[in-house]
Amino acid sequence: MEIDELKKQSDRSYETALAKQNALEKARSRMVFAYDGHLFLANAETINLVKTMSDRDTFVLLDTNDNPALIDDPTAFLSKLIERNQEVLNSYHQLYVELQKLR
Amino acid sequence: MTSGVLLFCFNTEFYRYDKIAAKTVPLIKKNLNLPITIVTNTETFKCLPQLGTIDYKIIDNETGNHINKKPWHNLDRWKAYEISPYDVTVLMDIDYFCFTDQLLTYIDAEEDLQIHDKVYDITGKNSYDFRNNSIIPMLWATVIIFRKSPKSKSVFDMVQYIKKHYQHFCSLYRIDFRNFRNDYAFSIAMHQMAGLVPTKKLPARLITLPALARVTRVASNGIEWQLEGKFGAIQHSDVHVIDKGVAHV
Repeated sequence: MEIDELKKQSDRSYETALAKQNALEKARSRMVFAYDGHLFLANAETINLVKTMSDRDTFVLLDTNDNPALIDDPTAFLSKLIERNQEVLNSYHQLYVELQKLR
Repeated sequence: MTSGVLLFCFNTEFYRYDKIAAKTVPLIKKNLNLPITIVTNTETFKCLPQLGTIDYKIIDNETGNHINKKPWHNLDRWKAYEISPYDVTVLMDIDYFCFTDQLLTYIDAEEDLQIHDKVYDITGKNSYDFRNNSIIPMLWATVIIFRKSPKSKSVFDMVQYIKKHYQHFCSLYRIDFRNFRNDYAFSIAMHQMAGLVPTKKLPARLITLPALARVTRVASNGIEWQLEGKFGAIQHSDVHVIDKGVAHV
């Protein structure tokens, strides 16, 4: 492969990497959501913890400011967490598929 | 409980912030659907286009501050607490482009004052590393969400005090930049009012397009830019645009 083509390939790789990085940052930002006056991240860690605790009627969870929040409807809260998580990751997935086509 | 957006907009002889407002205000209306108050001066008010239902607060802004040897009218931000007619205020820079409704999330959080302490450079250049420019971690005063409360008021009152004695605080916190910067004024104020201990800030990073990137297009859902011969774009994400040339795109 000629050096010009190698350079173009390198540029494309950089642009793809940056687009992926930006999409991931956007996704992380969109994972922040408010529930009962507290901010939470709808990420795997929160979902796993809430799922683990969901057999209880209520439980206390730390929000993003390390303040304790009483979760009095674990089922509804878990549902919102998963909904937001999948909404965000689906958007990221769509972009990822587009980027794969450009490789 | 009322909530709304408060913007400060003052033209200088070099930069047309009214033209930037013409781009950002419609985005705020579309994506946040909140009432907006623009704090401005008479000269800038005359330049502002029709932006629909907006409340204006005309003030004689304080002058005398500079950045890169050009006038920088940023000395009135501490007045935001008194000026804001809202119970919960989203105070943001006029060059913050709201392409999402993400800020509504922060309004729903029952915190007195929320601010970014992390920034993300969308050009991938990691342009913002100010760790060695002061002994206090820098906050970004680009977007501040505050509730009317004694705690919030104390922060804004502290910013006013810091502004008055800014060179002293620059020396105290060994801040390299000697011109007045709201970023540092709020960093110091929040540090002082939190009892000189670290506190949590907004969990997301402030997505920013740095000054070296030239904005080439502003669309209804995102922006495009050029940097060092390369083109970039981002959609469906709020962006703080530093390039003042965005006024003329």
